[in-house]
Parts: sequence; structure tokens; C-alpha cells
Amino acid sequence: MTPSARSPHPPLRSLPDLCVRCATCMAVCPVSRVTPRFPGPKQAGPGAQRFRLAAEASVDDWIELCTACRLCDTVCPAGVPISELNLMAKAKFLDERGRSLRDWLLVRSDWFGEFAARFSRIVNPLMKNRAVRWLLDALLAIDRRRELPQYESPTFRQWFRRRPVAVDADRRPRIAYFYGCFTNTNEVAVGKAAVVLLEAYGFSVTVPPQRCCGIPRLGVGDLSGARTMGRRNLELLLPTVREGVDILFSSTSCGLMLRHEYGPLLNLAGAEELAGRLFDICQYLLGMHEEKRTAVRFRPAPLRVAYFAPCHLKSLNIGLPALELLRLVPELEVTLIAAECCGLGGLYGFKKEKFSITEEIGRDLAREVARLNPELILTDCEGCRMQLRHLTGRKVLHPLQLLCAQLP
Amino acid sequence: MKRWDLIVIGLGLAGLTAARTALARGARVLICGRGIGSLALFGNSIDLLGEIPPGADLEAGIAKKIAAEPGHPYARVGWTGIAAALTAFRELFCPPYAFAPVGEGNSLVPTGAGTLRPTYLLPITMTAGAGLAAEETLIVGLRGFRDFQENTVALHLRCRGVNIALPRYGLEGLSALALARLMDEPSFRESLGAAIRRQMAGERQIGLPAVLGLKQPATVLKTLESITGARIFEIPMLPPSIPGIRIFHRFREELIAKGATFLMGHPVAKAEIKNGRCTGIVVQNLPLSTLHQADQVILATGRFLGGGLQADRERISEPLFALPVHQPAGRGEWFRERFFHREAHPVHSAGILTDARLRPRDEKGKVLLANVRVAGSILAHHQAIDEHSREGIDIATGFRAAEEALAP
Repeated sequence: MTPSARSPHPPLRSLPDLCVRCATCMAVCPVSRVTPRFPGPKQAGPGAQRFRLAAEASVDDWIELCTACRLCDTVCPAGVPISELNLMAKAKFLDERGRSLRDWLLVRSDWFGEFAARFSRIVNPLMKNRAVRWLLDALLAIDRRRELPQYESPTFRQWFRRRPVAVDADRRPRIAYFYGCFTNTNEVAVGKAAVVLLEAYGFSVTVPPQRCCGIPRLGVGDLSGARTMGRRNLELLLPTVREGVDILFSSTSCGLMLRHEYGPLLNLAGAEELAGRLFDICQYLLGMHEEKRTAVRFRPAPLRVAYFAPCHLKSLNIGLPALELLRLVPELEVTLIAAECCGLGGLYGFKKEKFSITEEIGRDLAREVARLNPELILTDCEGCRMQLRHLTGRKVLHPLQLLCAQLP
Repeated sequence: MKRWDLIVIGLGLAGLTAARTALARGARVLICGRGIGSLALFGNSIDLLGEIPPGADLEAGIAKKIAAEPGHPYARVGWTGIAAALTAFRELFCPPYAFAPVGEGNSLVPTGAGTLRPTYLLPITMTAGAGLAAEETLIVGLRGFRDFQENTVALHLRCRGVNIALPRYGLEGLSALALARLMDEPSFRESLGAAIRRQMAGERQIGLPAVLGLKQPATVLKTLESITGARIFEIPMLPPSIPGIRIFHRFREELIAKGATFLMGHPVAKAEIKNGRCTGIVVQNLPLSTLHQADQVILATGRFLGGGLQADRERISEPLFALPVHQPAGRGEWFRERFFHREAHPVHSAGILTDARLRPRDEKGKVLLANVRVAGSILAHHQAIDEHSREGIDIATGFRAAEEALAP
């Protein structure tokens, strides 16, 4: 007997007619869970798609309220690429209406990130200054209730470049690290933890040149911008891939973009080659434990921690490797937070007109955290970490940071 | 590469039950599937065999069914197996939100179409609907909530129906999930309870759409009952189903806590077959395909909606293993004359044939895959819709399939 050769995906990815209108997606959409202003994935995606014509102007302004969490995709029994339909509709709507200066600026956070990090001593107080925040709110509609990230100097890249190379580096297997913009300029500690951990697992770490993955551009429906970012990253990363070196990411959103959007959505040459060598760092380390390829034993950590699974991790479809890794730490009590989506939606949560939606989605998460009352919260995504800090005022780290601290 | 003891394909009630049963026996389990199965659509109460009249002995009724239909999935499990599986299911839920029969056997509960349907295990939020007295019952609809029409229900049940405004403005058009979420808030449910009380005219039972909370349905029930002084019950309605989502969440929480790897959303594109055994499955998340290997596999992919079975214009097929599907001889025999015919449509009893140990077999009785078991509604020779046995078949065969798969 031979397995069927029939592909589960239809040849065309954007077929709304695959939808049988079963409403399963309505069971998970975080936005329609909190507001009637967004009709939900069924209506916004395949439902409205049947009425959209390329030659006619968009009428569905609510399409902008989709946060692109992609949870709808993960539950659809018919395999409808719902979030992609939303993204295409959003792109068309914003192409017609035009994007604001704010959106233009926000998606270029990678540009001013390096600059802001260099002048962090001046920039950081400004980011907290009430007058500045009022101006940003009034002029650019960046909500003043949302804390802006603080910049760090030196950046991760600078730190990495300056650190001494291990003596036996050339005898160790090589591994490459995609750190992502936020690690580079705002959470350098995550990158440091990744490098220290990987070295403890016996690797020699390299950091190939890299750019923003481009996912912020998708957030404002800027497909050509995202494609440009993708093309540059492919040029920069493929040489590493061709040397037979695996590339690991610690940000699940960057990872999702690099692994699953460069090819199927943006149709970039070389995307599949890159995706085949690209792994979530926790998935990779967990695999080493499962295959007994490491002798790393963590020190006991008598702590009660709560782990939150980011939406984009769910889309990666690799299970919850960070949670499983954390279970290898003796005495650590880990609970999975029973909440779907933090609500931030990346840059979405900074926008004044969307702030209340992100707050409302986040309330469910905050309530669960309050119920668990953990000593520490862990999650793989920088957006979720920002939102969790904002909602709860608690300490929130990347799982790598705890693991690194528990190395012998 | 990690080897699992068991891979369960399908995230519906059958697959979830199989995974949980295997975990309880210490197996390393991977559970995966496209979408989240039919729980989020139709999951409400637990049907066992609705054709057994209310009050009649279930064991005798099932025995009679098995004697009359030796090919029925229940014949593979037997009464002892069914009872054990149902007990295990009930133990998954911690009181106060638990499942129990009303009286000894089946009971009749109202539906969103205003009919009464027979079922067996009810969540406590539906108990009061069993055996309602029409003259003492009030059906309450919520303004702007289109998935539940209190007029229809009240008309058919011959009781009074009212439509009440929600306690806050701006909520018209909310989804079932949004309403359920609001019910979890004390102030919302208290205001709603007060609004219902104002509409009461001496009724002692009140039916509401099944949206009484996602996190604390028992508390929502208690609040509404103490404010109104009446017994409150949920009425199942159009998808998505909140009671079904509660079941799904409880399973998922349990499976992840017990160490199962949960891959939600992406289809199993291919199965690897060697010497009459399934050696692995390939999960597709474009552009990547990932091979997962296990000693045992359970196929619980459901029927047409979830893609477990596929139909073209002439034939019904099983897409993953290309298993032979027992089915009517030709297309002309799929359906009866009328949609609402007295007897069930033959197409609904199409499905996979198995041996006594739930391994797939052909029409002649030859076992086709030695390490694969088949569970749930994909099995042949049942009429889950007409005989009201969907959940019973899922739970009983899911339980038995896992036991068989792990039997020494």
C-alpha cells in the first residue's frame, strides 16, 4: 500500500472557497473576542474575500484590526490561509488609503534602533518623558499609555564582537545565531544568554550579518518592503547555510517570518534552503537532550515560574520546546499560562486607535497571571514580554535567561 | 531523532481521549492534526446512544445494539470498555464543572432549534434543561446576538421567550466567545442576572444560549441562579460551541501538563509505510515538511469536515493511508429520497473497517497496517447523527485504541 500522493494544500493558497463557514476560527480570534468592531476571521477573511475585486476600492476598514496573530490558521479544519487573506486585504486597503507617517516610522525601528542605542543615555529619558509622550500621542498617535522600549549600549552585536574568542573555538561544531533587532538594541541579555548557553552545549557561535526580518512591514501590509528585507537577509544568511551551519533564532516572530513567510508568502528565491537550516533555539537544545547529544545538567532552581506560549510559536508548529526544556531544571515548578494571545500584536499595540483592544485582550492574560501569582514569567517573544511587563508589572524573561543562569 | 511511543493524528474527542489514555500509561505521545476537531463546533453534552429511550437501561440497550449490528464501533469495545472510557472522561473534569447523567440513562435536553434531543452526560450548566416544564420555563435571548433565537426555541418548546439588552452599550454583534468571556466577569453576570429577574413572571427554569463563561461556568451558573432564584440551563446553539471549547481546553491543559507534544494546525501530509507498518508521519508547515516517528499510530481524523474522509463525485476515500473505505456501491445509493428521511442516509455509515483490535482491515478481513489503530467517527458502520452516538464512539474507541496500541 502506498500513501496518497495528493497534497493537502490546494495549488492556489488564497482560495476563500475552501472555507465551509464552520466558525472554528471564531473560537480563537483574540480581537473578535473583545470587540464587535472586528467581525472575526471567518467574515474578514474568506467571507469578505468573495466580494473583493482587485479593480474596486476596499470598503472594509475593519480589516486593519486584525493583529496577525495567526491563531485562526492553527484551528481551521479546511486549511484556509485565513490570516493571509486578511493580510492581502489589509495591504490593498492601506495601499489605497495610504500609510501614516507613524506607520512609516514604526516599521523602520531597526534603522533608528542602532542610533538610539548609541545615544541611549539621551534617548531613554526622552522615551519616558511625559511631554515627549504627549507629543508622540498627539502628533503621531503613538499611545502614551504604552511604555516605549528602552535602548541599551553596547548593542548585542557590539558585545559579541568585543568578547574574547574561546581557545578551542575552531575544534567545536559551528552554530549561527539570528538575534533579531530587539535583542540587539533593547534586550541584549537575551542574546548573551543564547551565546553562553550554546557554548555550554559545546558550540562555537557565529553571528552572521543580518537585518530586520521584515515582519513589522507585514503588520502594515507593506509586502514589497517585507520582500526587500527578506531578499537582503537571504543574501546575508545563505552563505552560512551553504557552509552547512544551522541557524538558530530566539525570537519566535522573527523565526516565523524567516522560516515560513519568505517562501510561501513572499515567494523569495532561496527561502526553502534557509528554512531547512533554521531552528528555534529551544527546539534545537531540547533535541540535543532527547538524542542524548549533550551532557548539560542544569542546577536546581527552587522557583515557581509561569510560561506563556506566544501565538507565533504556535504557528511554528514545533510544540512548546521552551516549556519542555524548563522541565529539565530540577526543582523548578513550571506552569503553562492558560491564556491565548497577549494582545500586543507587535507594533499594533503602540497605535492609539488600537490600544484599547490590546488592553482588553491582555486583561485575560493578566487575570491568569494574577491567579497563578508566579515568582517569574517566561516567554519566547519580545512582544509578549513587553505586554506582560506592561500588564502585570512583574519580572518577565526569555526562557533562555533562566536556563543560562542555571548552568553548572 | 526522537522516537515517540505513540502518534495520535486528530485533535477531536477521539484523538484527545486516545492521547490522554496513553499518557496515563506512561507513553511518550505526540498528538497532531489539522484544525482543532469538531469539539469547537458541536461539542456540548456527551451522547452515548440516543436511540435508547430516556430511563431505559443503557447496558441492555448497548448490548442489543451490538447484537443487531456486530460491525458497529461499540461492538469493538463492549459495554465494559465503554463504561471504563466514560468513567475516565468524567474524571478529567474537576467539580464543580463536571459531567453527569440526569437520572439513570438518557435524558431529553432542548436545542437552539427548539427541539428536544436525547443525550447522556450533561455538564452541570445543562442539567436543569433536562425534563423542563414548559409552563415554568423562560427562554432568554441576548440583544444583538444572532446565533441564538429565543423566539424559535420558545415557540417550539411552548414556553415564553424574551430578548434582553446587554448590561453595557456597544456590545451588539458580539460573538459567542466574546459573550462567554464577559460572563466570566462578576459585574457583567450580576447585571445580566438582574436584567433577567426583571423579565421573570414566576418562571422557575431559565434557558440561555450556551455562553455561560469559558473559565468559570459553574460560578456563572451559581451567580445567575442565586440572583434569579430559578434554575438556569444552557442551550446548545450554532457553532462555535462554548461548552465544546471548555472540553477542548481541559484536554489540552491536561495533555501538555502530562508531557504530550501538541502540534496544532498543520496537516499530516504523508505517512511512511514499510512492511505493513507505519514508520512515521510527515507534518507539513510550508515550506517545511517534518518527519515524526513512532512505534504506534492512532488515526482519529474524523469524517468529511476535518478531512479524515474525502469524497469526489463518485467515491469516498481516506487520504492519508489510502485505506479502503467501506461505502455504498455507487453514488446513487448515498442518500435517501429526502434530506429529512426517516431512516439515516447510507453515506453516513461509510468509513474504515477494523479488526477486533481496531487495526484497519480490508473487506476480506486482512489487517492492512499492524501498528495503526483507527478511532472515532471515521470508523464504518455507525450512524452517529441519527443514533446520537458521536461522543460515545469517540471516547470509547479512542480509549480502546490507546489501550490496544500500548498492549504488550
